[in-house]
Amino acid sequence: MAEVKCFVPQTLQEALEIRKQYHAIPLAGGSDLMVAGSMGAGVTPKFAGDVVVITNLPELKGIRELDDGSVEIGACTTSAEIAASELVHPLVRDAASRMGAIALRNSATIGGNIGNASPKGDMPQPLILLDAEVVLRSADGERRMLVDEYIIATKKTALRDDELIVSVVIPKQSFTHIFYRKIGMRRANAISKLTLSAAATVKDGVVVDFRASSGAAGPKVARCRKAEEILIGKKISELNTCKEEFLDAWNGVISPHAMPEYRRNTTRRLLTHFIDALAAGHPEGRVE
Amino acid sequence: MFSEIRFTLNGEQKIYTGDPLRRLIDVLRDDYGLTGSKEGCGEGECGACSIIKDGKLVTSCIIPVAGVNGCELLTIEGIRDTEKGKCIIDAYAEGGAVQCGFCIPGMVMATYVLLNNNPDPSEEEIRVGISGNICRCTGYDLIVECIALAAKKGAALWQK
Ligand SMILES: Cc1cc2nc3c(=O)[nH]c(=O)nc-3n(C[C@H](O)[C@H](O)[C@H](O)COP(=O)(O)OP(=O)(O)OC[C@H]3O[C@@H](n4cnc5c(N)ncnc54)[C@H](O)[C@@H]3O)c2cc1C
Ligand code: FES
Ligand code: FES
Repeated sequence: MAEVKCFVPQTLQEALEIRKQYHAIPLAGGSDLMVAGSMGAGVTPKFAGDVVVITNLPELKGIRELDDGSVEIGACTTSAEIAASELVHPLVRDAASRMGAIALRNSATIGGNIGNASPKGDMPQPLILLDAEVVLRSADGERRMLVDEYIIATKKTALRDDELIVSVVIPKQSFTHIFYRKIGMRRANAISKLTLSAAATVKDGVVVDFRASSGAAGPKVARCRKAEEILIGKKISELNTCKEEFLDAWNGVISPHAMPEYRRNTTRRLLTHFIDALAAGHPEGRVE
Repeated sequence: MFSEIRFTLNGEQKIYTGDPLRRLIDVLRDDYGLTGSKEGCGEGECGACSIIKDGKLVTSCIIPVAGVNGCELLTIEGIRDTEKGKCIIDAYAEGGAVQCGFCIPGMVMATYVLLNNNPDPSEEEIRVGISGNICRCTGYDLIVECIALAAKKGAALWQK
């Protein structure tokens, strides 16, 4: 095999030229690629092709609020930076702050988490709930798409071989109630067995918005708009009667792979907990 | 196109011209002779290889050397003779935090970052601060106590 070339560009423009010419694999934090390619102590990890290291490109870092109130997160922003930012939606901060442990959160990037397209990746789940988009750039132009469309399936994305994710944009939105859970084997450095986000807006006793998404439960993050619609428009006093219909519709999105009954039951319990809190008139804010 | 990788290592400017995809831990240990950082798992799980990059704790086994281009790095060798480093190491010795010692350089680095950011941590905050560092000997309790001791004895150091 020809030796792997490695490029260390100083600017985004250089990086995009390298993507165009060599289709080199982007390496951001490296926390997926370096482990996947690991050959043991003292040996350079193996990569499937040439590599372009984008870790420290200033254009890909940072979090800012845009004029329309949406929030743009640079692709190489780390989980620690996201977890610490007041600008970022609390569900996304929750997910970022529960990734790995301190050191991992200082390396892992949001672009890498989405780019890796693992169903066990924690960031896409709340991002899909919030209808967030990725901004993709090449030397020739820019396009945007929903994170939900960008991630096609496990390890499969819509990235073209000359593009980079340059940022993630989360539209402005607020809910009266939110809920987040990550279930792993231990608190630190645990890959998710299951994650769930839910969000709702209750106005004058009516559910005007309801969303839920679960991670690590199938080939990609699951959100079921058909199920969500069952609850939207209902009075909170009606939630008890339509809860079962909703939960049955949700059952369909948990894929029948390893431990489906565990994931189904746990998801059901978490969703029931959230809906019951709404039905009981839980004060605005986070449902624990 | 082989770029030079420039970084500051324990205060010294370095220009690295080898393979940019080598793991940082290998470059630290094999090229610069800094063998204080240990390799436990090689997968980012155990924290034995922890170093400080631009003030932040990272595991050097999952970072390619190219990923620290333009950065400031501190390893255990860079802090052990400083006042803060000595404060931690003396507290670990005084309270008996160390058994085989393999995890300790990483623990000390995690402690250094923790106390720099939070001079007076609660027990829970200490446990979270070292939650990415695995120790197979001590059961952690003495390490946690020694970190509290370092916070107390070095209060004047960490406050500034
Ligand atoms: C100890 C440990 C614990 C972990 N815990 C968790 C956890 O709790 N939750 C979790 O979700 N993950 C976890 N991970 C996995 C990993 O850290 C995350 O997926 C992380 O977000 C990956 O980001 P990175 O920048 O390090 O990715 P990299 O390894 O640099 O890249 C990952 C993939 O994304 C692509 N990519 C990177 N940047 C871009 C870009 N800008 N545009 C297009 N493609 C890009 C790369 O080509 C590659 O395919 C853990 C990993 C380790 C080693
Ligand atoms: S050797 Fe790096 S984290 Fe275990
Ligand atoms: S003292 Fe032996 S691993 Fe911690």
